[in-house]
Formats: sequence, structure tokens, C-alpha cells
Amino acid sequence: MTVEALLIGVDGATFTVLDPLMARGVMPFLAELTARGTRAPLRTVMPPLTPPGWTSMMTGKRPGQHGVFDFFQKESVDSEYFRFTNSQDIQAATIWSLASDYDKSVIALNFPLMFPPPAVKGCIVPGGWMPWRQLRLGCHPDGLFDRLKTLPSFNPRELSLDMTLEAKAIEGCPEEEYADWIELHIRREERWFEIASYLMREEPAELVGVMFDGVDKLQHLCWRFVDPACQPLDPSPWEARITALCERYFRRLDEIIAELVAMAGPDALTVVGSDHGFGPTFDVFYLNSWLAQQGYLAWADEASGGISVEAQIGFTQMTRHISDLDWKKTLAYVATPSSSGIHIVAQDPAGGPLPTETRARITDELAAALAEVRRPDNGKLLVSEIHTRVDAFAGPFEQYAPDISVIFDGGTAVSILRSEELIRGRPLAQGGHRWEGVFVASGPAVRRGAAIDEVSITDVAPLLLYALDLPVPDDMSGVIPAAVFEDGQMARRPARSVTTAAAAPIPMGEDGAVLFDDEDEATILSRLRALGYVE
Amino acid sequence: MTIVDPQVSAEIFRLIAELADDWEYDGVITLDTLFLSDLGLESLDLVVLGTAIQHRYGKLPFSEFLAEIGQRPVDRRDLTVGELASYVSQQLAASPGGQSR
Repeated sequence: MTVEALLIGVDGATFTVLDPLMARGVMPFLAELTARGTRAPLRTVMPPLTPPGWTSMMTGKRPGQHGVFDFFQKESVDSEYFRFTNSQDIQAATIWSLASDYDKSVIALNFPLMFPPPAVKGCIVPGGWMPWRQLRLGCHPDGLFDRLKTLPSFNPRELSLDMTLEAKAIEGCPEEEYADWIELHIRREERWFEIASYLMREEPAELVGVMFDGVDKLQHLCWRFVDPACQPLDPSPWEARITALCERYFRRLDEIIAELVAMAGPDALTVVGSDHGFGPTFDVFYLNSWLAQQGYLAWADEASGGISVEAQIGFTQMTRHISDLDWKKTLAYVATPSSSGIHIVAQDPAGGPLPTETRARITDELAAALAEVRRPDNGKLLVSEIHTRVDAFAGPFEQYAPDISVIFDGGTAVSILRSEELIRGRPLAQGGHRWEGVFVASGPAVRRGAAIDEVSITDVAPLLLYALDLPVPDDMSGVIPAAVFEDGQMARRPARSVTTAAAAPIPMGEDGAVLFDDEDEATILSRLRALGYVE
Repeated sequence: MTIVDPQVSAEIFRLIAELADDWEYDGVITLDTLFLSDLGLESLDLVVLGTAIQHRYGKLPFSEFLAEIGQRPVDRRDLTVGELASYVSQQLAASPGGQSR
């Protein structure tokens, strides 16, 4: 059995960072792969975020069609409770399940939303916020975890990404922790590579996918060291050391990518792709505080809302809105800083379900008011894009999406915390998500040295299915990006399509047909936090 | 009176035993073992453990259960294996069919 399609996921990768690294010889293999293949900016979906991004890449569908919008999902369409998103929230076939359906074996490593693991033909080790203590439960098939334990460097503590580690990337950490933190990510990628190479030898599969998420983490925390435009002109010894360590991370990642491509062999279609792009962020906008000022949100009391003393987004306060807000006076709120989305309440504070016309009126009012928000220092408009639920998330699962999604000019980050100042500058540039990730394809019949204008992230799944010689479901948003291939390829081997049944909308109400709609994880977490039960 | 369905407690013991070796926990696990203090779990672990249990048993109102624990004095904010088994048993007994699924 030979590898027919190899997907190397590089979370958050952007050509802004990779191009200079390739030019300077830090990533020589990626430069070579790009030269012998086709590259393009990879346009992600709304919001530019890990869970919806990877899910769109895996399903070929947009969030309104697959049902994943954020790290946290509304418990039901009429609930204000949010829970951790898991694999059973993906309401669409994935490349893993589709390949399995056609009796192709898969290896899927470190992709988010893979717990509980789907019963595919092949092997899964989940990524995302999968605690190392439970990693065994996420490995598929049974017995895989015990086999992985025999690997020389296997260390679940360093494979999994816990929330503490993620918080350091997002909210920052003391200077003395940077070096260890970067080195940990180098080791993490090596450990995932060890698993990948073991499984590619022992459990050959036609479709292999490995995701490396250290790029996202480094770029969040260390943007000023990885973006040439932001690097210090006269670095201190510490800054020079951190810059060198970041470079070492990318150099090692390049070596790992080279080895994976070599293992896959010359007949495999290789795709290097990212779930979103990256760019600098210089300030934070307190969206819940803005809603409070506008009269749409009320804090439960003076101490609620995680009062911000510096420019922080409130990573550790996610989903605390349940206890932080006065629900008798709140009409709209932001539950997480990641989605940049405003939800309008399901229940009218005056009693009963919020009327549809009231929801529409609030949506219009908020969109109009947001369009007028200006930066206090220079008077420029703060918001560059405003999307309503209907225009951003049309599909059977749109009712789980925010009512309004906001993209800020210059990458301003959203905070859910409470602050007297609506905008606060960050002392140093950090990294934040952008629309354009990376796409590099190489392999049989792929154009050499070509650059195309743009590929949609939803096009990756059809492309991988084509490489596997499988039909593409006709309900995918994405299409095979024919420009990737040499002239005549699509005529020589035409794409095949297969009709699939449309997904049913999730019914309203407490017993909505979500596959896993319990008093679930995020609700538990938020209540535990609210009650001081957990940190 | 605490009522524990032996099938439920056996299933929870099985789940914990399966994981405890990975945690390098070599103590004896009993109904009195505390998840946070004794086993060293963190909040996200409880969340995912709850996912696994609900994956096995279906919908359970865990948030109410854990909220009650959260209202206890700080030094008692923990969960024993027995409490978890008892809670799951009671919920299953109260559910349609009234028995372990």
C-alpha cells in the first residue's frame, strides 16, 4: 500500500513568515517543495479560527454546513450555555470518514475535534485541547495508545496541548519562560513526527494527515520575533536568543516535513495547508464592555466580568458569561474572544422567547453602531467587516452561529473582559489570525513552480479525494482547484461526483438532534469556574 | 442513603483504572478516592471524563451536579469516585427505563 495523499497541516502558517524563512535557507525543503509544486494563499472561512478552519478543510464545507463555529458550541440553539466542541459536533462527512467508506485506510494525527474518535478505517490520535490524561480514550483503534507507549520518545504530557499552554500563547508569559516554551513546541512536533513515522511504517494508509500546531502558538506569542517587519532592529541578547530559538523551531519543522514527504513517496499528492493566516495585533477591543455601554449587556455585579487591568482578551474567562452577566438586563453578549461573534439572547428578559423581529432589530442596531466605532487616538474606523448570521453562516446549522461577526481593522483582538477603556494598546506586538493561510501542493501532474491567486480552504477536501481517486460529494462547497494541475490533467482523469443526502437542520428545543447534546463540557467548566471550583 | 448501581460503579472503576496507569497513579482506587486531590486531575480532565461517561450513558445533567459540589466549602470542593457513581446511578434510575444503559 502506498500513500496516495499526504496532508501536512501547519496551524496558522502564513507566507508572511514562511517566505522570508524559505528565502534565507531556514526552510530549504519547503522552498524546494514550493518550487516543484503550486502555491497559493489559502482563504479560510468565517471566523478565521482553528476549529471551523480545520473542520472546513476536512469536510469541504463552510461552518453553516458543518456546524462548527468556535472552540465552544452553544448547547442548543435556544441556550446561553456553551460547551466544548467535540467530534460529534461535526455534522458532515470528513475526508477521514469518506476515505474509510471507500475502504481506504487513514492516519489522522493531532487534528482538533477528533474526540471521541470517529470509527474510521485506520488510526487517529486526537489533537486540540485533548488532556494528556485522557489521550488513551481518544486514540483509535483500541490498543493504539499502548502501542504508542512503546515508542522511544512517547510522552503524552508533551503531545497534548492543555489550556495552560494555550493561555501562554494567547495572553503572554514572563520573559524567562519563553525559551522553555519554544523548546517544548520543538519537542512536541518531534513527538508527533515519531508517531507519524511509526504508523506510516506499521499501519500503511492511503490518506495520511499530520497537523503541527506549534506555528500558531509561536506566532501568537512571538510574532515580533518571527515577522521580519516587527523584529527588533537592535535586539537585546534575550531577544536575539528568542529569535534564534524561533528560527530553530522552523528549521526543525522543515526537516520533519521533508522526512514525511520522503516517506510518502513520489506518487503521493502532498498538500501543505493551514487553517488560517496570521498577522500582528497591536491592541484589544473590549466588545462586551462596548455592548454594556450601548445598553445591550449588564454585568451581574461590580466584581463580575473579569475586570481587565491590562490588554488581555479573557482566555481563561471563556464561557463565564453565564455567571458574569445579569440575564434580566442582557440582550447581547460575547461568550468567547476567539469567535469575534456577538450572540443575541434566546430568551427575552421580559419573558418568553425573544421575538424574531426583535432579534432582527437588535442585529441591525448593533451592526450600524459597530460600523461607527472609531479609534480614540486617530479617529479611524475600528471595524472593517460586519457579517450577520445569515450572510456568513447560511446553512442547516446557522442557528448555532453568532448573530453578528466582526472583523477589526488591523487585526485588533477581541476581549470579553470588563474594562473602562474600550481599546487598549498592547505593549508589544502579538500575533493574531487572518484570512489567508498557506497552500502548497506537489505531486504527480501538479504544476511546477506555479503560483495561483487563491484557493479556498473548502477546496482541499475535494482535492484530496481526487488524489485518492474517490468521487467528490456534490454537497461540498469546495471544488477541485483544477489550476493546481498541469493542462489536460482533468481531461485525462476527470473528477467524479457523488450525490449525497442533504443534512437535516438541527431542530429547535431542548432535545435538538445534536448527536451529543448533554449538560456538557463547557457548561460544566463554566459553572465550575463560576463557583470557584476550578481555577 | 447512597445507592450505587453495581454496573455503573464497575464501569467507572474500569474507566479510571484504564486511565490511572497512564497517570502513574499506583494507589488503590476506592469509592472514597478523590478525583482532584488524590488522582491529580484538573478541570479540563473532569470535563473530558464527563464527555466519556456521557458517551457511554447518554445525557446526564452534570452541570447541576458539579454546581452543587462547587457550593461546598473550599476544602471540600472535590469529587469522590463514589459520588460520581452514585450520581450516575441515580440519574439512570430516574431516566426512562430506570436502569443502566
